[in-house]
Amino acid sequence: MTRRGRILATKWGMNPNSSSLGVDVTFLLFGATAVAMATPLIGALIRWRRPAVTPPPSPPDASSES
Amino acid sequence: MIARARAWVTARLGDPLAGARRSRLEAFGAIVQLTRPRALVLVDRDRARTLGLDGGALWSDPRRDGDVDGAPLAAPLEAHLQLTNRCDAGCAGCYTGASAAAGAGEWGLVEWSRALDTLAAAGVFHVALGGGESATLPWLGALARHARAIGLVPNLTTSGLAGLDRLLPIAELFGQINVSLDGLGATYGAVRGFDGFARADAALRALRAVKRDIGINVVVTRANFDELPAIFAHARARRLSEVELLRWKPAGRGAAVYARLRCTDAQHRALLPNVLAAARRHRLRVKLDCSYTPMIAHHDPGPALLAQLAVYGCAGGDHLIGAKPSGAITACSFAAPPPPRGDARPTVLDLPSYWHQPDAFGRFRTWRDAAAEPCRSCAYLTQCRGGCRVVSAHAGDVGAPDPECPRVVDFLRRDVAFGNESGPVRRRLPVV
Repeated sequence: MTRRGRILATKWGMNPNSSSLGVDVTFLLFGATAVAMATPLIGALIRWRRPAVTPPPSPPDASSES
Repeated sequence: MIARARAWVTARLGDPLAGARRSRLEAFGAIVQLTRPRALVLVDRDRARTLGLDGGALWSDPRRDGDVDGAPLAAPLEAHLQLTNRCDAGCAGCYTGASAAAGAGEWGLVEWSRALDTLAAAGVFHVALGGGESATLPWLGALARHARAIGLVPNLTTSGLAGLDRLLPIAELFGQINVSLDGLGATYGAVRGFDGFARADAALRALRAVKRDIGINVVVTRANFDELPAIFAHARARRLSEVELLRWKPAGRGAAVYARLRCTDAQHRALLPNVLAAARRHRLRVKLDCSYTPMIAHHDPGPALLAQLAVYGCAGGDHLIGAKPSGAITACSFAAPPPPRGDARPTVLDLPSYWHQPDAFGRFRTWRDAAAEPCRSCAYLTQCRGGCRVVSAHAGDVGAPDPECPRVVDFLRRDVAFGNESGPVRRRLPVV
């Protein structure tokens, strides 16, 4: 029988700050119980999603403007 | 009923059944990226196998299964790219010492695009673009598009003081954009040295009109600490998605005014309950930067909970890397580049080889073995990693415990029972 394994950590959000690593601490309002409740949902989400297909890098056009 | 529930979830988190996931193998298992909701999920080997992943030789050592912190990651989670050091704002405490003139040897679109290719090939998930003022770069949009095309999520910090006309049409390319806002009204000027609040606030409104994921970055000082609840209220009034709080770092021009503007010990101890109360009251997400982990640990939420939330102290040269405008790689944006190897310093393009050097990033990676007391016996060492190396370096020893950590302050005063020897000192998080 295949073991289901564990979710070790979840880092929420994206960090726009280019000077340090920002981490979402909002969950500290709700404590370990909320984290424990969210973990199965995260497990389901990562199982449902298809693996991404990333194209190989292509050189950019040096004359590109925004 | 189910359809209504799904519509409610989709409106807030995106369709949970849509989208794709990226993943990266690690010795402990794997890291899986979700785009909606936005998250990086660290899983052990068994969970990775259920997702169809196989680590092969990388998983040969059974002792590393599930051990996230036993060794550096296979690659950074994110890279902080200082695209330029050009900025006209002239903030009194700019940590990069940015000026109106670009520095010598700054990279352009072609070099940064090659850097993104290198980062994507290494498995980096996010890049945070900053400066200087990157919004003024004519090729910022092309670079962001290239990042998206190769699977990287570009995020951006801007002062909002320049380049807004260029930024608005390309805002949707970015995952999250935060505007630096270090105070409301006159407080902004007290921190930054000039009155730029109205322009930064106008940028917030303009960006929010075209994009949902807009937030505020606040560098917390003793001048604006008492105003944090009002800043949260302002963010709520502007319908922003988050407030990210950053500790003042003694770097660049910031070093000269550090003693005057850094928070007091009492403010550091009060930070977490204050910001959680504000986040709850105004229903906003709050982020704290890595250097605030000692101030979180002070309230003893439990090492396991911090591990679950991926709250780390100094993760430079491990979870993150920085890059100077010349492409030189650094452990974090505040750190100096490593010494030259041969004729030149390693750049982002050298990441694949430099990352695995045994002495890569120097003292940033030696916290496991070199921690002094009180960190050595602190239950939070694995998460906190000794606090901010940049603050420690400013105090005289880059490898010393963060001198502003409340636990270190107590230890050095020796007038408060520290508790490492006799069990943890429980300071329960206040109910807010």
